[in-house]
Amino acid sequence: MIEQFAEGAMMAFTLETIVMIAIGLFSGMLVGALPGFTTLMAMAILLPLSFFLDPLVGIPFLLGVYKGGIFGGSIPAILVSMPGTGAAVATSIDGYKLTQKGESRKALDIALFSSVIGDTFSDIFTIMLIFPIAILVMQFGPPELFAVLLMSLVIIVATSGSNPLKGLVMMLFGLWLAQIGTDPIGGVERFTFGLFELKSGIPLLPMLIGVFALPELVYAVMRNEKASGFAKLVGERLNRVEFKRCIPTIRRSTIIGTSIGIVPGLGQVVAAMMGYSAAKNASSHPETFGEGEIEGVAAAEAANNAVNGPTLVPLLTLGIPGDNVTAILLGAFVAQGLRPGPQLFEEQGSIVFGILVAMVLANIMFVIIGYLSIPFFARIVTIKTGLLVPIVIMFAFAGAYVFRSDTTDVLMLVAFGAFGLLARAAKFDVMPMVMGFILGGPLEYAFGQTVAMAGNSPLTFMFTERLGMVAVLVATPIIGYILWRRMRTATA
Amino acid sequence: MFSKTLKKTVGAAMVAMLGLGTAAYAEYPEKPITLVIPFGPGGSHDLNARVITSTIPAHLGQAMIVRLSPGAGGQKGTQEVADSAADGYTLLFAHNYTDMLQQHVENLPYNPMEDFVPVARVNFAPIAVVVSGDSEYETFDDLIAAASANPGAINMAHSGNWGALFVPAAQIMKETGAAFNLVPYKGGGPAMQALLSGDAQVTMGFPSVLGPLVDAGKVRVLATAGSERIYDDVPTFGEAGIEGDIGFMHRVVLAPAGTPEDVIAKLEGAFTALQEDTSFQRLMGRLGENTDLLLGEGYQAMREEQSVAYKALVESITQ
Repeated sequence: MIEQFAEGAMMAFTLETIVMIAIGLFSGMLVGALPGFTTLMAMAILLPLSFFLDPLVGIPFLLGVYKGGIFGGSIPAILVSMPGTGAAVATSIDGYKLTQKGESRKALDIALFSSVIGDTFSDIFTIMLIFPIAILVMQFGPPELFAVLLMSLVIIVATSGSNPLKGLVMMLFGLWLAQIGTDPIGGVERFTFGLFELKSGIPLLPMLIGVFALPELVYAVMRNEKASGFAKLVGERLNRVEFKRCIPTIRRSTIIGTSIGIVPGLGQVVAAMMGYSAAKNASSHPETFGEGEIEGVAAAEAANNAVNGPTLVPLLTLGIPGDNVTAILLGAFVAQGLRPGPQLFEEQGSIVFGILVAMVLANIMFVIIGYLSIPFFARIVTIKTGLLVPIVIMFAFAGAYVFRSDTTDVLMLVAFGAFGLLARAAKFDVMPMVMGFILGGPLEYAFGQTVAMAGNSPLTFMFTERLGMVAVLVATPIIGYILWRRMRTATA
Repeated sequence: MFSKTLKKTVGAAMVAMLGLGTAAYAEYPEKPITLVIPFGPGGSHDLNARVITSTIPAHLGQAMIVRLSPGAGGQKGTQEVADSAADGYTLLFAHNYTDMLQQHVENLPYNPMEDFVPVARVNFAPIAVVVSGDSEYETFDDLIAAASANPGAINMAHSGNWGALFVPAAQIMKETGAAFNLVPYKGGGPAMQALLSGDAQVTMGFPSVLGPLVDAGKVRVLATAGSERIYDDVPTFGEAGIEGDIGFMHRVVLAPAGTPEDVIAKLEGAFTALQEDTSFQRLMGRLGENTDLLLGEGYQAMREEQSVAYKALVESITQ
């Protein structure tokens, strides 16, 4: 095993691998930063390239695209309040506030460092404990997923803004929006009013851009057209003291993110929100969260990147892709003649370790590439309003459209933009709505699966086979209540 | 080189001015072709399409670009192609269940038989019935006997209603009288994970993904689709008394109805040429897929049979 590891590490340290990782990281970052283009799409498009490259060049290249893409997504989230994926929503809370305060460089720096640290430690953890994690992954089925998702929603409401009741209303509204379209299990149409456009449900991207970015654009226009778009300054880089202050948060979020990565189906969105909520709750100054707190950015970014390591475990140990990203990686593996599965480590151990080493290498390289490119990105926000706002509007509309190439999505974007403005005027936070919408689908699906599994005797099923689910369900209201009390006393 | 391009451009402009339309050029294709996949990224259609589009340009003289358009169980992308011009520049890459079964389950905004013509069945994948390596069911007959004796007691994990795992399961239930408790999962991967974790006692999978798990003894194959054995010691559906086109996923390229015949012929020619293309063969081989090509007319006959069989299946289940 040690021998294979050494051999693999040697294979990863070639000029070709390093160059291709760098290209992957950079192109992933650019694609991820463009709203409407997802990392997943970039990987799918670039997959054929890897068919014709050496395994230890092609696969690290795709991993580079993936890692670069996730960070890329947080760039527009921080700079113009335009999260392109659900995973970047939590980042935009404090990230955009920092930009408005003239600290965009700092926000991007802390996002970079915490994503790389979260990712690296979760990768190392995964490499060391791959087989125990593989066993642990198997303990989570749809019933447990349902319970954990429900608990996540309760935690989000309990720790959201100053008025949990408003948060609850918005979350329920989000859950209802998630119901629109074809029921994921039975195939029955719901709330579509017979419109074919609504049959596949409400798309996420127009909602994200609509409620988060469009209101900001309206405000920027209302301020002054000659002024700088979103901020006068880009501010200082992150300094050592600030970084040190974030270390406990990064550590906590890395642990949360890695744990969430072990539960199949939870993913980055939940990790980012849980990391953020936990940091806010543990802080001695929770009132600064949501007002431009660098720990808020660190918490979200470390957590959503820490998911990456464990999600590779079912792929590497069983050959089973848990989501679309790992499915593309599986394609890259098999096209190279590698067959992920129980015997992969025995048959091709050195190549697998080589790939894992390349993952860690990609993280280290990303610190350098990211750090050098941040000043260029950061300056975008200082372009004067008259120029910047039209450009951002163009990206907002193009992004909403290009995701599915559907003109309906542009109408959705405008509708959600108007809704975002109204919600803000009435002092309702849109965050719980978005989270309810994103998690509503998986929650309903897991519930439907649980019901199907339980058959005719749900109680016997729950109390004899699924005590884990019962425990989480019982704990949920208690945890929710404790968090709510603590938040209330801390902010009062 | 330059003058050739120039000639083409001038020629195209003249044809267009003469009002002959943009369709039936002798020189199709003269711009990239879009291959719409009505499913999301990372699925088997996506992977197969990546192999096709990275090898077919050599035989078409033009690029083929994948456009993923998932939504409404494949209906969104399918409708887009149905609505696009029948000029051979927008094609659909689907499978038999969205193509021929869905019409009997839902009201579709298009008519698959009237709105599409098949270009090529690129390959097909036979389904296998699998249990975990330590399962008490040693044979397919054991499984059917248990599922008949205790209806609904055995969980069968599948990849979504009326999907590639659900339909064969339903067909087996219809043919044998066995009753599984069908539990949906988001794709074949999670369904297989449910089998390995014990949440399900049986599932289905394609041999292309089963290989490593079978070799490691994690899963046991009880039966495979068709009448030819895929594993030497595993009976086929035919041997188990289940006849018909059951349990095959046919990956098929379709064009909007009305596409000129010479365009279809050109495309068929390119797909035929792939049979001799070593990169295509090698990559498909690694994905574990066959390259059993069936051209338009041959597959059309199959579609008509599928439609009848699926209609009967849906009626027997939903009534």
